[in-house]
Amino acid sequence: MAVCIAVIAKENYPLYIRSVPSQNELKFHYTVHTSLDVVEEKVSAVGKSLADQRELYLGLLYPTEDYKVYGYVTNSKVKFVIVVDSSNTSLRDNEIRSMFRKLHNSFTDVMCNPFYNPGDPIQSKAFNGIVSGMMVQTG
Amino acid sequence: MSVPDYMQCAEDHQTVLVVVQPVGIVPEDQFFKIYKRIASVSQVNIRDSQRLLYIRYRHHYLPENNEWGDFQTHRKVVGLICITTCNSAKDWPQTAERFHGQKEVYSSTLYDSRLLVFGLQGEIAEQQRTDVAFYPGFEECSDVERRVEDFVESIFIVLESKRLDRATDKSGDKIQLLCVPFEKKDFVGLDTDSRHYKKRCQGRMRKHVGDLCLQAGMLQDALVHYHMAVELLRGVNDFLWLGAALEGLCSASVIFHYPGGTAGKMAARKPSISQPADAGKRHRPGALTANGISADTSTEIGRAKNCLSPEDIIEKYKEAISYYGKYKNAGVIELEACVKAVRVLAIQKRAREASEFLQNAVYINLGQLSEEEKIQRYSILSELYELIGFHRKSAFFKRVAAMQCVAPTISEPGWRACYKLLLETLPGYSLSLDPKDFSKGTHRGWAAVQMRLLHELVYASRRMGNPGLSVRHLSFLLQTMLDFLSDQEKKEVTQSLENYTSKCPGGMEVITLSDGLKLPPVPFTKLPMVRSVKLLNLPTSLRPHKVKSLLGQSVSTASPFIYSPIIMHNRGEERCKKIDFQWVQGDVCEVQLMVYNPMPYELRVENMGLLTSGVEFESLPAALSLPAESGLYPVTLVGVPRTAGNITVNGYHTSVFGVSSDCLLEGLPSVKTSGCLVEVIPSLPRLQLSTSLPRSAHTPQHMSKEELSTSVSVQLFNGERQQLTITLENIGTEDIESLELTSKTVNIKDKVFGKFLSWDIEEAVHQLPLKPGQTVTLTISIKVKLDFSGQENLLQDLNDDGISVTGLPITSPLRQVLKPRAETKAVSSESGKAEYSHVKVGRNNTACTPR
Repeated sequence: MAVCIAVIAKENYPLYIRSVPSQNELKFHYTVHTSLDVVEEKVSAVGKSLADQRELYLGLLYPTEDYKVYGYVTNSKVKFVIVVDSSNTSLRDNEIRSMFRKLHNSFTDVMCNPFYNPGDPIQSKAFNGIVSGMMVQTG
Repeated sequence: MSVPDYMQCAEDHQTVLVVVQPVGIVPEDQFFKIYKRIASVSQVNIRDSQRLLYIRYRHHYLPENNEWGDFQTHRKVVGLICITTCNSAKDWPQTAERFHGQKEVYSSTLYDSRLLVFGLQGEIAEQQRTDVAFYPGFEECSDVERRVEDFVESIFIVLESKRLDRATDKSGDKIQLLCVPFEKKDFVGLDTDSRHYKKRCQGRMRKHVGDLCLQAGMLQDALVHYHMAVELLRGVNDFLWLGAALEGLCSASVIFHYPGGTAGKMAARKPSISQPADAGKRHRPGALTANGISADTSTEIGRAKNCLSPEDIIEKYKEAISYYGKYKNAGVIELEACVKAVRVLAIQKRAREASEFLQNAVYINLGQLSEEEKIQRYSILSELYELIGFHRKSAFFKRVAAMQCVAPTISEPGWRACYKLLLETLPGYSLSLDPKDFSKGTHRGWAAVQMRLLHELVYASRRMGNPGLSVRHLSFLLQTMLDFLSDQEKKEVTQSLENYTSKCPGGMEVITLSDGLKLPPVPFTKLPMVRSVKLLNLPTSLRPHKVKSLLGQSVSTASPFIYSPIIMHNRGEERCKKIDFQWVQGDVCEVQLMVYNPMPYELRVENMGLLTSGVEFESLPAALSLPAESGLYPVTLVGVPRTAGNITVNGYHTSVFGVSSDCLLEGLPSVKTSGCLVEVIPSLPRLQLSTSLPRSAHTPQHMSKEELSTSVSVQLFNGERQQLTITLENIGTEDIESLELTSKTVNIKDKVFGKFLSWDIEEAVHQLPLKPGQTVTLTISIKVKLDFSGQENLLQDLNDDGISVTGLPITSPLRQVLKPRAETKAVSSESGKAEYSHVKVGRNNTACTPR
């Protein structure tokens, strides 16, 4: 269960960011913003190696005291970032991967919408629904 | 050891530490001049051996740090240079006493010391003592550097002797146990004869010898000793010293692999490094030679065996740091080791691992830190992140440092420092202070974070006591983040802006800060938003017309061709194409703007005027109040051109919320304009018409009110004559030179016999040129004679005014009931009407007939 989910465009500004409402939203903005550094680092590093198939899942970007931040980048350089609670140790890598896969599928659906301009904030209800399903259920 | 030295890097392990201190009263600038000169001696080539000694200088060093000298020899003070002033011989004994006192502070580790006395002359000064040097003044000390070199050589001699002493393996004798300060009590009462203990002593001593070798410039030997120490200490699980030995190994390897130094750009700032340029690359020729043997391939094998590979260096650093982590008193050592490792990783360009190290460094608990130390720590973290290229993280920590500067626990918050740090974080968040960067394309960066940052900037500048800066930043926030502010936030921001501008109105000048940073002006181009700019022609009655030239209309002055089959097409639409009407100098000219108000509440715009160029233009400012989220609202800005020429409307200026802004049309790509270049012709005379007959109540249908200056209606019987006096008054500033009177008959269906209108203009013409203020009168006689001959036609004509109810001819009285017409008299069938026609008066066009 994620605490914050963000979709970041190619130019590194947020298309969609949603966090558990009880927390200070700005804090999550900061966390995701700084994690972009690590994402860029990994993306450029992967490019240097001669692998044909680029791994989309970036794995654990960095752990902080309370949270763990995971990243995923698509071939069009759109980044997904999921922040989970550190205390939630039951979440395994596979589960995170499946969450990213669902996000990616949902995102492709949003892109397929002919009325959606790439670069606009995402306002699709279906996407919201998928994200709500992945967020921590608060009371 | 309380204060970490963030500037340390791995190659500092091979330096010896010399402290330079003032004794007694020494003027600060003089002291630092001498200090700089002394510190320039950072490398000394030892005579008789080809070894190089590196020296680190400090002018301030805590004695507690000295106690860690056994642990890592580069931490202990081995040389002391005191600077003092002494003006007379009587003061000399006191000075000497003070010097000895100073020596006592570091006596446990000091190898040698020197005293430099300035200002003493006389027989005491003639003494040739090795440890005291006398100079008559601060300016006459040319051989300070040489003395320092001699001093360093004497240190070297002591160092060498110690090294040789320790290095010879006296396995039979008792080796004393080296300790760190917090360990001393742990070893009281321990059995000193056990093998475990002996091995521990040996391991620690080996490590110490390795340190000494490193300092003495013998890299190879140092590596060998370190390797041995690691083996020994691993056997006894002496973790702290094992970590130190590993770190020593890493340092030696780093010195070997990276002779340029890992300090990077920082090297330029350290006073001990004398070469500021060249990006801090330090030339270390001695690193590859050891024991006087020059570097050649035969020693390659030995080197490769002992030296660590670059990846191994990092592995060993990780191991060492993990061992340090077991001891909470070794926090400072651990932190410094992290910093050194990060610098090495930065050189190796492995940013991700460096960031992991830094992540750990954040969590190292150094106990209670003072606020100053916390600020320093965050600043250093920020710089290190910058070094590895993590700009956002660096900006984040800089912001934390800025917040720390003004933490509530500090008695005197440093708002200026906070502001400066916040300004430095802006590039990390893709924020620049130039509004032009935000006018095109999509918004860069994270809006929520940027807004927070801008709010903090405003707050800091306000607390700093500079309201002008607050106004500038707040207007920047409003201008660039308008789309992202919620309605409530818009209200709050504008209210605080008005609050600030009441003290200090905002303007369009470039604000220059004390450190040279320029804040560009922020014009409010979105409040109100201008959609189109249209230059309006003058009112019809005031429009200038070209007087017909003598040659007639067929000759145009544009081109010499009378006829040409080639038709010139206009190439596209230029933004500033010339408009085909003209403005007249001295007349009120108008420009219409369509604006709208994007704010959710009423917007007051004051002092809105035009910005023009090319012609002196007196702009008459307007004030308006736009309702909330209104649609397009037309605003007319007026002005009077005072000279003739071509005028270009460049933009407009407004004053909103106390901030005045000049908005240029080029900067507003979304504004539609039909051209902004207009020719202003020199002044023309203006004429006012007044008539003797009363004005008519309504205007004729086919003419607009503007074309007409006066209309008069009169009712006459057939055959009646009426005189009309027209008074022409020159109300302008120019002379009227010619007068033309033409008449046009309209809207008449009947034939008129004779001349309907007649006048005699000769008399009026004689009075020309008409000066301003003068009047001339014209008399026009109106004679009506309608043709009423065809009776049936008349009835038909009388019927035929467009409305016929039944289609049958009906009599006049009934018609009157149906559609009363003011001019038609009901009873008489012989009545007619006359309508006064539009009188054209020619204006003098100076373009054709120069005055």
